[in-house]
This record gives sequence, structure tokens and C-alpha cells, in this order.
Amino acid sequence: MAGRLNRAITTTQAAVVIIIIILAIVAVAITTRGPGEETTTPEETPSPAVQTPEKTTPKTTPTTSPEETTPVKKEVTLIFASTQMVPVEEQAFVKNKLLPPFTQETGIKVEFIGISYEDLSTRLESEMKAGKVTIDVIGDLHGGLDYFASNGWLMDLSKFGSLPDRTFPKILEDYSNLYGIKAYVPWMTATYVFVVNKEAFNYLPEGLTMDDVISGSSKWTYQALLDWAKNLYEQTGKKALGFPAGPKGLFHRFLHGYLYPSFTGAQVKNFDSQAAIDMWNYLKELWNYVNPASTTYDAMADPLLRGDVLIAWDHTARIKDAITTKPEDFVVVPTPAGPKGRGYILVIAGLAIPKNAPHPEEAWKLIEYLTRPETQVMVLQNVGFFPSVNEASGKVATGPLKVMVDGVSKQLNTPDSLVALIPSLGAKGGEFSSIYRTAFEKIVLEGQNPAEVLPVLAADLNRIFEEVNAPLPPPDK
Amino acid sequence: MRLTPKHKAFLLIAPAFIYMGFFIAYPLSEAIYLSFFEEGALSLANIRYLVGSPLSKFTEAFRYTLTITAIVIPIETALALLIALFLYNSFKGRDLILYMVIIPLTISDVAAGLIWYSILTSNGFMNNLLISLGLIDQPIQVFGSEFKVRMLLAIVVTEVWRSMAIVFVILFAGLQLLSRDLIEAAEVFGASWMQKLTKIILPMLKPSLQSALIIRTLFAFQIFGVVWILAGRNIPVLAGEAYYELTELRHEGVAALYALIIAAISLSFGFIYIRTLRARHLEVTL
Repeated sequence: MAGRLNRAITTTQAAVVIIIIILAIVAVAITTRGPGEETTTPEETPSPAVQTPEKTTPKTTPTTSPEETTPVKKEVTLIFASTQMVPVEEQAFVKNKLLPPFTQETGIKVEFIGISYEDLSTRLESEMKAGKVTIDVIGDLHGGLDYFASNGWLMDLSKFGSLPDRTFPKILEDYSNLYGIKAYVPWMTATYVFVVNKEAFNYLPEGLTMDDVISGSSKWTYQALLDWAKNLYEQTGKKALGFPAGPKGLFHRFLHGYLYPSFTGAQVKNFDSQAAIDMWNYLKELWNYVNPASTTYDAMADPLLRGDVLIAWDHTARIKDAITTKPEDFVVVPTPAGPKGRGYILVIAGLAIPKNAPHPEEAWKLIEYLTRPETQVMVLQNVGFFPSVNEASGKVATGPLKVMVDGVSKQLNTPDSLVALIPSLGAKGGEFSSIYRTAFEKIVLEGQNPAEVLPVLAADLNRIFEEVNAPLPPPDK
Repeated sequence: MRLTPKHKAFLLIAPAFIYMGFFIAYPLSEAIYLSFFEEGALSLANIRYLVGSPLSKFTEAFRYTLTITAIVIPIETALALLIALFLYNSFKGRDLILYMVIIPLTISDVAAGLIWYSILTSNGFMNNLLISLGLIDQPIQVFGSEFKVRMLLAIVVTEVWRSMAIVFVILFAGLQLLSRDLIEAAEVFGASWMQKLTKIILPMLKPSLQSALIIRTLFAFQIFGVVWILAGRNIPVLAGEAYYELTELRHEGVAALYALIIAAISLSFGFIYIRTLRARHLEVTL
């Protein structure tokens, strides 16, 4: 048998096999090298573009007001690295609509780089260590900017003076001053709100008026929400309250940023306190009147439009569709208050300039452009992020967006508001969310005793903050 | 250049070795490393997390994966066999039925999940039909954490509908290869329909059954898309947990461990099938 096989294989056939093997090895070598090259290119490409101007930009230029440096002699390309507006369609908006008017007006080109928080953090750290900064403007969430500022990587923006024709809500001003410097300029905000189908107002419980709910009065409490949902169920037979507790839903934000601050005054610190146990028992009771399909909802726009639920809580971007489709049916209302206040999450994105950035004057001009009220309205209309300047809301035309802006600004201005910020935990963020969801599943869905479930999870929760060495998020600290 | 027979033999098996090394040995060693090593040192942290952490749904996922497999595979094998036997005889309209049975084969699991979700959801076709026929007043809720049994049922229905086709194709092809002489001989000797089935068709169909069962069992342990669409993490399964641990919690090691567990279960089932379903008659004659 073997002899026959040998005879059958000629040297030519063997040569063909060798060639095939060589080709296969070459192919493998190319594919394994491929990704490595890809990751290095985006890091490297910006540097040649900024190297030349870096040498020519006189570092000694006195910090004149931005208006005086308008004529740009040398062509400047700013590197704008942002963890926000990263999805493809949002990047297309930034590159095709948001930035071109700025370039036309000032002659400054902007290269927008959508980047993850981890990548941005690594890149900034290595640039700081190498002493060669290429990023001009950073767009990131408060938590990330807080971390950068704590490391001394950000420029104090107070030297540029204040921006003309705009005011920032006090809460945003306060948060943007970090570690003794003006660390960033508030850029955009986002939050989570309750949306009510106007039909639900026909079933308000005794003592609660439509005005209480819409204005966020002291009568609009979690107890009132429970009474309302109960009333709705008893009169219509419908479990009309809904939450996005599906696998991709944001229900964990409701737990750690709304219920926990409202009932315990903190997101993390009082995780297994008596107040927390009371809160979970409240949620257990409330869940009797919550649409059972909630654990499959990822976003509340569709359930609201289908009429499956009449009252829903979700991220503004995820209920936008319901309101734009039927603006006259829905109203956006502030969140109810609990025993410790009206806890809600405010997502703040800010714009910062790294220390030793190559073009600080031009970068400040970009920040000025991005925080103009009309630019902010453009962002709201296209991407759904809310403005960070008070003047912008006056520029929103009536219609669906106005419904949302009104609701959000009422929530921001309630006197008992207790702002919660999402902690900046990087890769551990998922685990943080998972702890609150696990507590919910075990206590509310499986009926376990909160006094037994919470201490076990609290240990995990504290471990995360220790591992990442992150500060507890407001309102905890 | 002269090549000795030994060299030639090595050359000939080299491509297969390179292929297996690159696509099997390398990923497997990486998975083992991710699962059992942490910063270069041997560590059982991932196993401890898997069985001990309140965040882990391993035991539930293991139970549900086995349950779904144990329900789906017998049902779909029996159904596929019945349909294959039914279509073994030629009659008018046979081709049409054949195509209808095979259609789900062309649909991805996620698409199948979405189709059945839209049928079974509270505003879906099923509820609308039942309400318009006056059989029910309120829609029947199938999805949601309160309805685990209903969701499991929905998963079983979708999985059977989707994957029965592959079992059917294999069994149907196997039937075509059966020697009609044997069956005719049996008929001459007066064998009943049942006798023909149990003494001739089924024993000779063993190799096809074996292939179908191996393929389906391996895929059943990897079940993911259908469950993820229909039940999310309300019904956790092994592959779904691997995905969740990796993408949401960034626990690469735990995800790799899940992959290894799925591989280990699949391998042991494959081994059992090969052992128990060996077609002895055929081996003797060959």
C-alpha cells in the first residue's frame, strides 16, 4: 500500500504541496500582523499633522483674549478626541454638519476622533508621560474628566475668561470646577425622565393633581406613584407602569441613580442600610402594578406608543421616538421624590483642553463654538443630547423637542433635587450595573429577603470601587 | 531534489496539521490560559466566581441549557423522522411539503427568534387572532420574568421549528440511501410495517441518526440567539452567559471558561453518541 502511494507521488506533486504550504504560511503571517498595524495607525496619524505647527506655535504668546487671534496664518488642524457621539450616525453628524460651519468661520480644521474612554485615558496618560501632547480638545463625561483633572492632566480654563452670551446652570458650573481649577466647560447633558400618557391623568389618586406631577411639587412622591399605578390597575385592569428592565434596558440606572438617592440619600454608601431595605420593599409592592413584560423591554418608546404602558421611565434618547411620533399624547414629567429628596441622574459631558496642548487658543475657539446656544440646539435636534446653557431652551421651537426640554428643565429646577452622577469605573461599569440588577432580580422577581441579599452584594460593590480606586459618585461624597 | 517517502508523507499531512494548529490548538490554548491563569500565575478565581458569585448565573444556565437540549432534541428527532418516513413514499405535492419543511434551515437563529417573538408577544399575531376569534379577552403574556415556563415553551417551539429541518435533511438523505431490496425482501416474507421500521429502516438509518444527533446536540449546547431574543437573561443559557460576561462585565476569563465548559459537554456527548450508535451490521458487512 505504502509503496503504491510513494510511486503515485511525483516530485512535481510534492512541489505543489510545498507551494501551497508556503502560501498558507504567508497568508497566516499577513492576517496575524494585520490588526496590530490597524491599532497603531490612528495613534500615529495625528502626530505628523500637528508636529509642524507645534514647533511654530509660540508657546510664549501672552494669553490674549481669543478674539484677538482670529486671523490664522498657519493652517491649524485641531485634534478633538471625544468619548461622546461615537456611534457611526452621530459621527457623521459631527463631521458633516456640526464642524464644517466652525471651519468656515475660523479657518481652523478639526479632526474628530470618536474614542472609547479606556483608549482616551491610555492615550492621554502616555502623551502626558512622553511630554508630547497631540490632543487639543477632549470631550468626555464628568467622571472621566474628574479623573484626568485629579492627575493634573487638564489646563485651567479660567484663564480664558468667561464665554459671552451664555449662562450655565449653577449645578453644572459647580461640577466643572475640580481640584481647584476650571477643569472643563459643560458641553451637553442627558438624563432619564418619566413620560406620562395624558390618558393616565384620568386615574390620578386622591390628593394628587396633574399640576403636581408636571411641576414636580412636593406631593409628587414615590408613594403617590404607587397609589397612581394601583388606581390605574384597579380601574382599568391594566398594569400600566413600565420600566426598561430588559437585557439591554437601562433599569439599573433607575435603581442606583433614582431610587437609592431618593430613599437612602446615596447611591453606594447606604447600599444595605435599613433605608435601602425599606426601598426594596417599596419596589416589591410597586412591582405588583408594573407591566410584567417590563423585564423584556429594552427601550420604552415602543411600549408607550403601543399603549402597553401609560407611565414609563427611561433615558431621554430612548423615549424620544414616542414623543416625536405623538407629541400631543405624552408629557415629560420630573421624577417623583422619596424620603431623602428627588434623586435623579444627570449625565454631564464636558469639553476640556489637556495641559501642554498644541493649540490652546484655537481649542478655546472650538469650545466657544460648541457651547453657543444655536449649536447646542442643533445637537439636541440631531443627536438628542440636551443643552448645557440656559439660553438654548429659548431657541427650541414648539413641538416634541419642547415637550422634552420643558420636562428636563423642570426636573433640573425642582428645589429638592438630589443629583446623582454615574461613577466612572471604566471596564468595571458593567459589573457595577450588574450588582443593582442582581439585587432587583433576587429581591423583587424571586422574592428573596433584602436583608440577606444586600450585604453579600455590598461586599462586591465596595470591592469594585477599591479595585478601580475610584471615588464614590455624588451624592455620596 | 529527491524526497524520501518519509518526507513526502510529512509534507502531505502538513497542511492538515497547520490548519488544526491554527484553528483548533491555538484558540484552545488561549481559552485555557484565559480561564485558569491570572497575570501569569495559575488561578482558580474564575471558577470561584462561576460557582460562588451572586452575579454569576452558572448553575441556572447549566440547568436551562440541559433542559432545553433534553426537550428539544427528542422532539425534533422524532418529528424529523416521522416527516422523513412520510415523504419517503412519493405522492402528489411531496416536493411542496419538502420545501416547506426545509425553509427554516435558511433562516438565522436571531431572525427565527424575532419571528416567533412577534407572533407570541402580547400584541402579536397569536393574541390578535385569539382575541378576534373571541376565545380570550385579555392577551396572553408569554414574555417576562414571571412567565418562565411560557418563555421556555416559546424557546422550545422556536428551536424545534428552526432546527428540525437540519435533522430532517440528514435523515431524509439517509433514507434515500437505504437499499429498497431489503425492504422488498421483508415485504415478500410478510413483515409488518412496524417490523420493517424497527428491524430494517431504523438499524440501517443509524449512521444518519448518529450524524444528526451529534450535529444537533453540539449546536444545542451553543444555543444563544433564540434565547437571547425571546427571554434575555430571564432564561440564562451557557453561551448567553459567556456573551454577557464578556461584553457587559468584561470578565474575559469567565467567558473563556464558559466556552471550555460548552466544548467539554459537547465532546462528551459526541463520544457517547459514537459509542452507542455504532452501526454494527454495516461494519460486519464492510
